[in-house]
Amino acid sequence: MPATTAAAEKLLLQMVDDYTQREISPYDMSMDAAQDFPKGFVEKLTKTGFLGIMLPQEFGGAGFGPEVTATVLNHIARGNASTAVTLEGHFKTIDQILKYGTPALQQALLPTANDRIFAFSMTEASGGSNPMGISSTATREGDHWVINGDKIMITNGGLAQVYCVLVKTAPAELSVFVVDQDMPGFSFGKREDFIGLRGTPVGEIVMDHIVVDNDHLLGKLGDGGVIGDSAHDDARILMGAVLTGIMEHELKISTDYAKERKAGNTPLTDLQVTHRKVADMAMRKETTKLLYQRAAQLKAAGQPYSEEAAMAKAHGSRAAVSAGDDALQILAGYGYSREYPVEHLIRDARAMEIAEGTVEKMRSAIAKAEFTK
Amino acid sequence: MKIVVCLKQVPETNDVTIDPVTHNLDRRGLAGVMNPFDKNAIELALNLKDSRDDVQVVLLTMGPDDYADSLREGMAMGADEGVLLSDRAFAGADTLATGYVLAQAVKKIGDADLILFGRQAVDADTGQVGPIVAEFLHQPQITYAANLRLSGANEVTAERLLEDTKQTLVAQLPAVVSVRSELNTPRYPTPRNIQLSFNKPLTTWHHDDLDLDDSRLGQAGSPTIVTKVYAPEPVKRALTPLTGTPSEAASQLITALKQRQLI
Repeated sequence: MPATTAAAEKLLLQMVDDYTQREISPYDMSMDAAQDFPKGFVEKLTKTGFLGIMLPQEFGGAGFGPEVTATVLNHIARGNASTAVTLEGHFKTIDQILKYGTPALQQALLPTANDRIFAFSMTEASGGSNPMGISSTATREGDHWVINGDKIMITNGGLAQVYCVLVKTAPAELSVFVVDQDMPGFSFGKREDFIGLRGTPVGEIVMDHIVVDNDHLLGKLGDGGVIGDSAHDDARILMGAVLTGIMEHELKISTDYAKERKAGNTPLTDLQVTHRKVADMAMRKETTKLLYQRAAQLKAAGQPYSEEAAMAKAHGSRAAVSAGDDALQILAGYGYSREYPVEHLIRDARAMEIAEGTVEKMRSAIAKAEFTK
Repeated sequence: MKIVVCLKQVPETNDVTIDPVTHNLDRRGLAGVMNPFDKNAIELALNLKDSRDDVQVVLLTMGPDDYADSLREGMAMGADEGVLLSDRAFAGADTLATGYVLAQAVKKIGDADLILFGRQAVDADTGQVGPIVAEFLHQPQITYAANLRLSGANEVTAERLLEDTKQTLVAQLPAVVSVRSELNTPRYPTPRNIQLSFNKPLTTWHHDDLDLDDSRLGQAGSPTIVTKVYAPEPVKRALTPLTGTPSEAASQLITALKQRQLI
């Protein structure tokens, strides 16, 4: 690695840690309770340039690579997972425009990604993990496409201004179009009342006869499945990073508490039951970290990374829930209280056993990849 | 307009030790960060740069090679270039010897209209280097500025915030100003500016790059002799509660203070 690259990464993480400590962590508890980011929170995040971390410099971004981008989300998630997940949803969408967008589409959209949040929307009431079950359509009318449909459970839905939407362009053909919240026919629906990651808005968009030119097509007609899979892969690496950050948070709370608390006259740090839990938490955290970093390294090197990304998310999500359960047990009554963050960290981590593909689907993908070796 | 901001890299931790020979802070092996007050000085310079087109901001520091990290951070905040003064001959300098080398470097940079400092460094807390540089440069100085504006083509007006009073001072440029943290909230370096900062010039000047009187350098050129540095033992005394009505309690307090000859 060139010295300047290493120095830039060090300076970036120093800034991210400073920002997280001063601007994000203080709101971790309140945004869970309020189910929203605080007023001005996203604007400040945007102004400080977080939206453009992985955006190439030619589009006005910082141009950091996949490994650093994931590490940034790891560090942010130590303070608050919702903030990291909102950035994850934005970054995975930018990634698909970089991979599949025409130069003209990239030039039109990506410079605005420094200031506007992007989102990728696949799920519908009729289909989540089964994309062929969706009913949204894009129908060609003359030189244009007319998009109709209803997308739900979109990470950043309602917050994002630009949406990549998976639609059917033929009964068995999936394609992706880019739509904007300012287009006639675009409206927001309800926001989900999820139990975890409550700062991150997850919501619905309604597309009622949105007319777009052909240049809003991402990739080619019929590329929808491939682009959707790619978005999942990119998101899963970043989720592994977020989960690592959650576990680091859980571990810190647990060790800080254990260092101060006694059971009878015995410090918790001298009890084998505590050792067992803390050691397991540390191993879960470290294995997840290695998995997401491995997947990010493969991505940076241009190698296939789908299986490793699935491992990072499948392993990391259960690991973070289990580590949270151990943290709760170490803190006992305090762990079970809403006045302490452990219980919401468990709820945050639990979301990632479902989002971006269930852990069951991850395991199928991993097993199928192994069968082909 | 050229603004030079002088900054210092300080230990990241409060857990520092004292060198048993020099009685100075032992900074060896400690990770460094930019002195927090110096970020206020950089922010002031950048605000002036944001408000007009002709401002060039140069950062200046003296120390080992790793002090370049703080220069780079300041350049990522938006400063145009950095100058590191690094040479074994500068090592062990007290505030006077440091101020001398900084002043010589400011002269070499040339045409500086405003030389800014944070009010003091958080490791040694002297607040002396800014005034020393002003004296070496024969320039007016304003310390502890909590407010500053360019009030004329060649003039700066600053509100000086002291413990029990405020002063408004006007100085002709070029001038040296040290700033308080009340002045502003330093910006974060953006990720993009972090990357772009590595395209900005960062120059290292050694002993031979400057016009220096060797007798003023390093430990030999430092009149300060630190004989002992220690953390005073906290003195524990019995507490005497004040009782009765507020008036009675006040009388007891006055009596107690008089007995101890404190009033």
